[in-house]
Amino acid sequence: MRVLVVDDSRVMRQIVIRTLRQAGYDWWEISEAADGRAAYEAVLADPPALVLSDWNMPEMTGMELLQSLRAANVDVPFAFVTSEGSAEMRAQAEAAGALFLIAKPFTADVFRETIDPYLE
Amino acid sequence: MSEDMATPFDPGEWTDAADPVEAIASEVFAAMVDGEPGHLQPRSGPAPEPDDGLYAWVDVHGATRRRVLLTTERETATALTRALLGLSPDDTVDDDDIADAFGEVANVVGGNVKALVPDPGDLTLPEVAPTRPPAAAGLLHAVPFDWRGRPLVVSLWALP
Repeated sequence: MRVLVVDDSRVMRQIVIRTLRQAGYDWWEISEAADGRAAYEAVLADPPALVLSDWNMPEMTGMELLQSLRAANVDVPFAFVTSEGSAEMRAQAEAAGALFLIAKPFTADVFRETIDPYLE
Repeated sequence: MSEDMATPFDPGEWTDAADPVEAIASEVFAAMVDGEPGHLQPRSGPAPEPDDGLYAWVDVHGATRRRVLLTTERETATALTRALLGLSPDDTVDDDDIADAFGEVANVVGGNVKALVPDPGDLTLPEVAPTRPPAAAGLLHAVPFDWRGRPLVVSLWALP
């Protein structure tokens, strides 16, 4: 399963990938993008099975990325991993078509509990 | 207390007995930095101003403008970076990694502090500098910590 992790922080991308491994997804083939625009181009070129994206990024935010993909009729499964987990942002994410929103800080248990239902 | 301070990010509006900033920072460090609780402890007295400091902050631009600022020694930010990246104490980290890591800690703490209050507006991208950021108008709240014995302060500021 190919997964694209999108975050403008290299350190945070490494933490997300490490936590995914700890959660048991060591069989995933993970690639990275440093902002929404780079992710948009990567998804159009070769759509992954899942996009895990930060929200607040330069160039193109995670929400703009999701909206751009949907506007381009790219229905790739998409979820947020972001530092803000307010009810308002969760509602915005869901309305835009995101599967889920994981708020930072996260644990491997949270990843597993949130992601596993979508893999069944 | 001025009328301006009776707004989002006003510690006077927090009704829980526990300090939410302390709780947020503790959770962030336990989950993201240390992998276990207990290494970030409230400090009994104020933290000294760093000799060779590093400052990381995010701003909230809503009806009121607020800043969440983390202050520590560069050496502590370096240790923090190694912890975040899962490196050993002997591993080298460069300035970009340190700014990235310390900024992300400020970003996650700031994002969670922002979630405490209704209608707070947008969160800026994190900034990191070796000097205190300009334009902070007034200190609203500060929580001094020791992280693994090293001083680190999380503070909330009103912006002009």
